[in-house]
Parts: sequence; structure tokens; C-alpha cells
Amino acid sequence: MEFRPILSAMRRNKVGAILIGLQMAITLAILCNGIFIIVQRVALSKRPTGADESNIFVIPNQWVGSPPDLVARLRGDLTALRGLPGVIDAYATNSALLSNGGSSEGVNLKPDQKEASAQTALYFADEHALNALGLKLVSGRNFNADEVTDKMGYTDHGPAGVVIITRALAEKLFPGKTALGQSIYVQPADHAMQVVGVVERMQVPWVGSWSANFNDNSILEPFRYADTYAYYVVRSQPNQLAGVLKAAEKKLYEVGHDRVLEKIKSLTEARAEVYQDDRGLAVILGVVCTALVAVMAFGIVGLTSYWVAQRRRQIGIRRALGATRSAILRYFQTENCLIAASGAALGIGLAVCLNLWMVSTFEMERLHLGYPISGALVMLLLGQASVLWPAMKAASVPPALATRAS
Amino acid sequence: MFNYYMALAVLSLKRNVVLTVLMIAAVGVGIGASMTMLTVFRAMAKDPIPNKSYELFAVQIDNWGPRKSFSSNGDNLSEQVSYTDAMALMSIRAAKRQSAMYATGAALTPEDPERRPFRVHARATYADFFPMFSVRFRFGASWTAAEEAERSEVVVIARELNDKVFAGANSVGKTLNLDGHPFRVVGVMEHWEPIPKFYDLNDMYGKSEEMFVPFGRAIENQMPSWGNTNCHDDIGAPGWDGHLRSECVWLQFWAELPTAADAEHYRSVLNNYAADQQRSGRFHWPPNTRVRDVREWLTYQHVVSNEARILVLVSFSFLLVCLLNAMGLMLAKTMGRAGDIGIRRALGANRRAIFSQCLIEAGVVGLAGGCLGLALTALGLVGLRSLLSESVSRLTHLSISEVAIALILSIVATTLAGLYPTWRAAQVQPVWQLKAQ
Amino acid sequence: MLKMTHLSKAYRTEVVETYALRDFSMDVGEGEFVAVTGPSGSGKTTFLSIAGLLEEFSGGEYQLDGANVRGLNDDQRSKLRNEKIGFIFQAFNLIADLNVLDNIDVPLRYRGFDAAERRRRTQEALRRVGLPARSRHYPAELSGGQQQRVAIARALAGSPRLLLADEPTGNLDTQMARGVMDLLEELHRDGATIVMVTHDPELAVRADREVHIVDGQVVELSVPSRRIAAASITT
Repeated sequence: MEFRPILSAMRRNKVGAILIGLQMAITLAILCNGIFIIVQRVALSKRPTGADESNIFVIPNQWVGSPPDLVARLRGDLTALRGLPGVIDAYATNSALLSNGGSSEGVNLKPDQKEASAQTALYFADEHALNALGLKLVSGRNFNADEVTDKMGYTDHGPAGVVIITRALAEKLFPGKTALGQSIYVQPADHAMQVVGVVERMQVPWVGSWSANFNDNSILEPFRYADTYAYYVVRSQPNQLAGVLKAAEKKLYEVGHDRVLEKIKSLTEARAEVYQDDRGLAVILGVVCTALVAVMAFGIVGLTSYWVAQRRRQIGIRRALGATRSAILRYFQTENCLIAASGAALGIGLAVCLNLWMVSTFEMERLHLGYPISGALVMLLLGQASVLWPAMKAASVPPALATRAS
Repeated sequence: MFNYYMALAVLSLKRNVVLTVLMIAAVGVGIGASMTMLTVFRAMAKDPIPNKSYELFAVQIDNWGPRKSFSSNGDNLSEQVSYTDAMALMSIRAAKRQSAMYATGAALTPEDPERRPFRVHARATYADFFPMFSVRFRFGASWTAAEEAERSEVVVIARELNDKVFAGANSVGKTLNLDGHPFRVVGVMEHWEPIPKFYDLNDMYGKSEEMFVPFGRAIENQMPSWGNTNCHDDIGAPGWDGHLRSECVWLQFWAELPTAADAEHYRSVLNNYAADQQRSGRFHWPPNTRVRDVREWLTYQHVVSNEARILVLVSFSFLLVCLLNAMGLMLAKTMGRAGDIGIRRALGANRRAIFSQCLIEAGVVGLAGGCLGLALTALGLVGLRSLLSESVSRLTHLSISEVAIALILSIVATTLAGLYPTWRAAQVQPVWQLKAQ
Repeated sequence: MLKMTHLSKAYRTEVVETYALRDFSMDVGEGEFVAVTGPSGSGKTTFLSIAGLLEEFSGGEYQLDGANVRGLNDDQRSKLRNEKIGFIFQAFNLIADLNVLDNIDVPLRYRGFDAAERRRRTQEALRRVGLPARSRHYPAELSGGQQQRVAIARALAGSPRLLLADEPTGNLDTQMARGVMDLLEELHRDGATIVMVTHDPELAVRADREVHIVDGQVVELSVPSRRIAAASITT
């Protein structure tokens, strides 16, 4: 297929070709970055917590007033919960997974470090916690019952002697060696805490970007959290969550009715809620990108149809001179291919520039080159598909048109 | 002539329905998408308290010293203040009105024993809060200075809570059981929901509080903060008193400074206070304080999320593609009508006449596209509401100004897109096209 | 009325320069009916385009109704065209989207007449060409002859000083053609100045005089059309 006649014919119709090329370029740039963001957000929303999510629900428990016997009440509640049929285990804590609320601290390896060695989330947990969350120990042991003390709210600064940490934190603090037996200091550090166990994974309670780079750093401190406002984490037998949840609520009110139990939700629900805006963004971008592609495709169909109509006489003459139908088809497809190729080339450049700008302005990640390149190929195919119908109409122009005056 | 061109435009658009529909659809979809995102964006960036946004100032004071904070705004200042500093500033009284405050809550036990206790979100604040933030009262008023000094157990409740507990009646004088303490209602607010919740950006688009309690009483009852507490190096001594004396920051502090002179005065008072702290040995660094008015505060806090910015960017690029599309279609239409244009030129139309005729046609397409775009925007906002969390849903309401923006944007943009096709049309030589046929 | 002196029109491409009109002079007085004849490619069409201010010329001078046309800008030419010239084309060139009344109305709009004036002139023009005054038909619904009459009405509505006709009967059958020519003669009798381009000697005969163009220049006919026409009648 000779390109030069096509190119020179296109030069006479510059603006139309430029319009299509520009549309394709901008579409490619938006599409690449848009899909990249979608993929990122979806990946974000699928980050595992490390716990047995489908069987766990969280009860935010708020006592009316500040009862003096918080510790006794707490023990009573936990006993009641653990005794319910269908409950594997339960414990009380300061912060629940996927709740966007909790406590975060820096971790030091030596008492008076200026800068923390790592950032981490702090979870209060008793000896039932690992079982109640379904966390896997990869080394060391769980807390012993006698290591766990009562903590009356955050302002009760009683020290912990031992801690369990996550594998990610262990690798950050003690790369290449075992964390067991090592001592760490949680700021403000004045006493050492010994690592006695390492769990496979426990995500921090927050899902926002500010915690993204310490997402899997967590420390479990051996405290029973006896505060006016605490979370009860309950793990039920498989497929029994709904029933157990209702039973738990009822039981707790029976045990003591001067409390507020609102917004009890399973971790599955919590996940959907906490990532709602991320998923929403992904959906919105998906809709816009689809619409973008549709608009671009329609534009190509429309403009090419117009060109075909404008050049009917010329096409008729070519046919009269011996061009076959498929030759005419190929002509228009080649023309479109040339435009699409230039548009795609420009689009790749635009996509990368757009991404670089977004990286600096919005703290996004850099685009993998695979996106714009495969996107360009998709554009080319899309262009060819769009031009098919007008090109076929062109191919069906009868040679007799050459002889007729217009 | 305008009416003539309008009539010609409508006629011309009716002639080639498919092309017209495609053009209007392209513009409409583009406007719909961009206006949907723009509505949310503008709601996020809106001034939540237009009359007073230049008079209300958030106060910041560095009580930690130079440090590597993991989420700093670059100026080493945290967004909240410590109890010590808040109390000191309240007693200095350098502003027309001022209030330290924090988010807290309680369990409300209804009188009816059949009904279970429920959670209420509250704000501990000073009486100055209400006039400062232009809060209007439906019944009663805020607590008096005397009640404030005595730390009386009084409460101002929101209209919604009043509706829920007292069925909307005048509940002034009635009692609410909050965490076992009887609080007397002194005032019921009119509906008040600044968006964003600028005075406490821990919960930017959250609902406003259901009730307000006097600060002193909240502290005395040891009502804990339900917001963010940041302790940096020093978590202080154990217990509530230790917490109050620590350098943890967990309070917001706002001052009303009506004139620039007032603001300057306050700034120097604030700096002097910090200098005093340095002299007394509590601070080991030179004074580092700031006051920012509402608009500056919102910018400083990056209230408009990155997601909103990205969506506005993407949707306006989409609009651009749609306009390029419409330009192509208009070009096709114009050149297909070159015959008519040639005749008109031969009959005496000068270039400006052709220009006007085609531009007005573009404007009509823009108007129609704008109307379609508005309908799609309404649809889009409904979609957003169902897709996103409740806090964002509060931002998805179309106001008159957005309607106007949509229509004007559509007409102007389509007319601009029509400039090149119109220019081409005006270049058509009189009657030459006819010869070529 | 129309006075061209040593007019030339050159078309320049990168490679070659051709002259469509060369040293062309012509003088049409008020009230004359002149036929312009010549073979294909002789320059008749170019002459008409220039006469109608549709094209610029390269050299020489052209005066229309006393006004020198050289150097006028597009706006001035459009105005002059609108006020002084009425076109009658071979292909009628009515605007398909508009009905008869709106078609005739087009040049009047650009003239700036108010609605009452336009209506008056349109109805008068329709009466002159013998068509009903309230025709809301569209061009596609009319016969060729009727369409040409509408076109002539459009040309007349602005009270032009000069009527330029380009093969006015070219697209019509014999009977309709006769009707249109009768109309042109009638207009001429009423005082109109008409310049008609044609290749048909039978039509050229109906004018006052004939100007013959070959290769862009006026030439003397060896056998004037009158003689040819007269010859065909006798044989």
C-alpha cells in the first residue's frame, strides 16, 4: 500500500485528521492513567488484614458513665461472649481492623533514639486475641495469661514486658535475624519490651495513604482494655456469623443494660465501608474511561463517514479505473492507521507527561510503561474497528458514479 | 438578524438529524461529566462560613520543638493545641471572642426505660462558640457566663437531637441523662451544618455535633476526646490529670479577630506567650506560632482531596475530547453545506454574516448540549451519592450557580469549538462550490 | 453600466501560468441586453464571475454602474453585489431548506430591509415572474421552470441595476426554456440591463447584440449567430 498518495490526500484534509489524532492522544493519556489508578485502588482495597475476616465481627461497647468496676464488667462480658454457642473466641481491644481508628507510635531499638526505626500500630490484646483473630504465629509463642494486665484507658500508662509483632515489622527492625528475644522500645521509650512472638500478618487499622508505608507494621501489647469505650472482637464458627452476632448483642444487654451497642459490624462489612470511596473512585473512573472511548469511536465513525461522502466521486473514479472493493477498504483503513499511529505516539508522550505531573502534584505512583504501550495498541485496534463501517460504505460506492455529473 | 440566524440554525440542525444528535450528545455528555465532578469539587472548596471566614482564626503553637514529624505540613506546627496552652490563651483574652474545644461524646439514657441508651456526639466548648460561628437558636440560648464559670451541667442540643428525644418541642429546661449525669437543656439550635467541618478537620465532612457542653464541665467529668490525640515524645504522667498537663495536643482553638489590626495584635500576644514559655524553660526553642483564617486553614489542610482534583481533571479532559469531537462534526456539517454558503455569499452576504450565522448555530448546539448536560449532571450526582460514602454525599447537591455555570460553559465552549469550522465556512468563495459540482 | 477595459485574469500555479481572460474589453450600457457566447473553456464563465464581483481580476479596469471595482475589499464587494447585481444561474441555486418566500428573502435580509419592506418586495417580485404570491412550496416540489422563475424573482427583489444570467435555460426542457426567455425579454422591455452567457446561438439571437469570446479575448465572429439562426430558419 503506497503511503505517499494517502499522506498527500490527508494533507489537504489536515484539520480532520488532526482532530481525530488529538482525540486519540488525549483519550490514550487519560485511559492509561485512569486504568492505572483503578488498578491501584482495587489492589488497595484487597489488601489482606491477616485475620479470618469472614467470621469476625466487632462490637463497639460504650458504658453509660464511668462505672467503677470496669474490670469486673469487662471480664463478665468476655466470659459471656466466649460462652455463647458458635463463638470460637473473643477479646477486648482499643482498636479494630479496618476501622480507621487506633493508636500509632514510633518504634526504637535503643532507649534514647532521636528518630524511630519504624512506625507501627499498637493493638492491645490478651491471650485470646490470636485465636479470636485467626492470626498465624510464624515463630515464638502467644501471651501467657499471667503476662496480660488490665489497662484502664489510654491514660493508664502501665508498662508491657513482652510483645508480639508482625513479620513485616520484624523484618524492618531485625533484617536477616530472628526477632524473638530482641528488645524494642515504643516511644516515649523508657523500658524495654521483649519480642516473644511473631505473627504472619496484622494490618494497621487505617487504610489511608498516610499509613501506606507501614501498612503491615503492628505490635500487640498484652493488655485487657477496660475503658468506657472499647471494642469486643468476636470470632464465630464458619457460616454462623449472623446468628452469633444477634445472640451476642442480646447476651450483652442481658449481662448489663446500661451500655450502648451501636454499629456492630462484621469485618466484611467494615471492609466494604472503609474502602467505599476507593471503590467509588474506581467505578467513576471506569465509567468516564468507557464513555471516553465511546465518544472517540463515534467521532471517528462520524468524521470518516463525512470524508467518504465528500470523496464519493473520487472513489467512483478509482473504481472505474480498476480498483477493487477491498482496495478501497484498505485505503481508508490505512489512512486511519496512519492517523491512529500518530495519535497513539502523541498519546504515549501525553500519558507519561500526565503521569509525571500527577506524581509530583498528587503523590501518585509512576506509570509502568506497559500501560501506554498496550494502550496504544488498543487505540490502533479501536480505530480500525471504528473505521470499518464507513470504509465498507466507501467500498460499496459504484464505479458508475464516475460517469455521472454531480 | 439574530432572530434570522437563530431560525436558520434551527432549520439547519433539523435538516441533518443524525449529525445534530451526535453533536448535542457529544457536548451533553462532556458537560454532564465535568459538571458532576465540578459540583463536588466546588462543594469541597466552598467557603463554609462566608460572612465570617476572614474573621475566624485557627490558632497554632509549637509545643514540641524542632522535630521530624511523620506528617508535617512543613512548618513544624501541629493542627491542635495542648490543654496547657489552650487554658493559658483563654485566660489571656486577647481576642474579641475565643474558644478552646474538642470532640467528645456520651451515652444518653432516655427517660423511657424501654428504650436503650444511645451514643451522642458532642463538642466541649465555651459559650463564645455560638456567636463566633453564627449559630442560631430555635429555642433558648447558649449558657450564660455565670453558668460557664460555675461549670454547670447544662447543654445546648442540635435540632435533630431535639426532634429525636423531645419530638421537636421546646425542651429548654428539660433534663438529659448523659453518662448518668443530669444535664439541663438551655438551648436548641437551628439546623447548623457547615460543610466542610472547618473547625475540626479531624472529621472533615462529618455530620455536625448533636450537642454542646461547657468546656469546663467536660473536663471536670473527664469526658475523653473522641478526636485525634497526638503525643509525640511525651505522653505525660498517667491518669486524666497527667494527660491534661502533658504536651499531647488534642484541642482546637479558634479566635474571632474582626479587623487586620486585631489579628496583628493577637499574633504578637501569641508570640509573647510563646516567648514566655521559652523563658520559663518549658519551650527550648524560639516562638513558633501561627493564626490562619478559615480560607487559609482549609487550604493548609488540603481539604479538597486529591481524588476530587483528579476527577475534575479527568472529566474536563473528557469534555475536551467531546468538544474536539463536536468540532469535527461541525466541520463536516459546514463543509457539506458549502453550496448554501456559496449562494448566500453570491447574494451579498459578507464574511461576517456567514460567521455570525455559523457561530450562532454553534451556540444553539451548545445550549441544547448544555441542557442535556444538566440532566446528565443531575443523574451523575445521584450516581455519586449511591456510590460514595455518606460524608461525600453531602457534597452532591446542584445549586443555581452550578446550573448557570453548566449552561454558560456549554454555550461558550461549543462556540469556541465552532470557531474553526465557522472560519472555514466564511472562507467559502461565493458560488465557486457550485461550479465544482 | 458595465465597463471593462483591458481586463486580464491569470491563474498561477507553481508550474504554469494560464490566462482565462486577456486584454478583455467590454461596454454594456444601461437597458442593453447582451449575449456573451463562445466555446467551452473560452473564458465566458470567468468573465461572468468577475462581472458579478465573485472573483478578483489581475489587470485592467472594471467599472460597475460608475464605481471602480478594483481594490475593493470583500465586505465592499459583498455589499455592491447585494445591491446592484441579480444572479440567474444555470442550476437555479436555490437553497433547498427554504421555501420560495424565504429564498427570495435571502438577499433582502443582507440588505437590511425591515420585515414590511421585504414582504412587499418579495410579493412584487413573484408577481413580476408570474408565480402565486403566497407560495410556501419548497424548491424540490417545483418544476425546473418554476424554480428558475423563483431564482429570477430572487434576483429582481432587490431592484438590481444589472442582471447576470449564466445559461439560464441550460437545465430546462424546450417549453420551459421558452417561457424563461420570454420572461427575460419582458424584463428587458421594462428597462432591465441583462448580460446573458450562453452557448446556444438560438438564445443569443434574442439579445440586442452578441459578444463572442475565444481563448479569453473578444473576437469578431466570421458568421454572427444572427446569420446562423436566420440560416436555420430558411433551410
